Amino acid sequence: MMWKDKYKVGVSLIDTQHEELFKRVSEFIETVQNNDNWEHKLDKVKETMIFMQEYVIIHFNAEEAYQEKINYPDIENHKKIHSDFKKMVTDYVTVLEENGYPEKIVQELGGKLMAWLIMHVAKTDQLIGEYVKSQGGEM
Amino acid sequence: MKAEYVNSFFQATRDVFRLMLDLDIQRGNLALVEGMIGSKDANVILGVTGDLKGSILFSFPKDMTLEMVKIMCGMEMQVIDSFVSSALGEIANIIGGNALTILNSNNYICDIVPPQIFVGEYKSFSMANEKALLLPLMTKIGTLDIHIFLKEK
Repeated sequence: MMWKDKYKVGVSLIDTQHEELFKRVSEFIETVQNNDNWEHKLDKVKETMIFMQEYVIIHFNAEEAYQEKINYPDIENHKKIHSDFKKMVTDYVTVLEENGYPEKIVQELGGKLMAWLIMHVAKTDQLIGEYVKSQGGEM
Repeated sequence: MKAEYVNSFFQATRDVFRLMLDLDIQRGNLALVEGMIGSKDANVILGVTGDLKGSILFSFPKDMTLEMVKIMCGMEMQVIDSFVSSALGEIANIIGGNALTILNSNNYICDIVPPQIFVGEYKSFSMANEKALLLPLMTKIGTLDIHIFLKEK
């Protein structure tokens, strides 16, 4: 399990979604990293990858809408970070589809995704909570 | 090579290790070395361009690498496979990016080239007879080495 309480931002909507996102990323990674034969588990790998990707979009959209609602000053920069990340994932998916989902490249995506997500939530997203707090909002 | 280059990388590594891995690091003795040799099990090299040019080499022992990834994903790791090496490369990439932000605030505008990862290879990087700085960093799960080779444009 990847989720740790210290990743909480202090905004209930965002924290609930982050926990769900970490759960889906964990499920994807656990499927990729278990000892089953690659061909045997490939359908499950694809399924958990799509399940995770769908939630990345849902969460980024919701988080950006929330930032708009609170007039978050760093919103444009944050949107750019989200959009760069989505592009990185989409580029990987293109390569995976073209090459028949080789284990090595799926693992590579998993490692990158995990480290990026932890850093983004543990650092960049914390600034949203700090802003809300500074405005006397929900904590 | 100026102290602020070294401090930027030390500070960035310390912050990222605390944030992502809940690990404190202690600075070992800085040494001037002839070449950049990644003699540990997993090595990540980052290129630096812009006002400063050069390379940064991170070297990690196997057990430390596996433990770092375990701290992040909560799963036991047995081998340095593509998942582990990719996560390690991303950590080094984040450290490099944060170090450059610190350098930028000191008026050095630089960029980093995406990391290259070498596992289980004794990797030596040619530096045309120039010297690099070697900074060992100790944590409770092992010691990593950072080689820093940067020149002003």
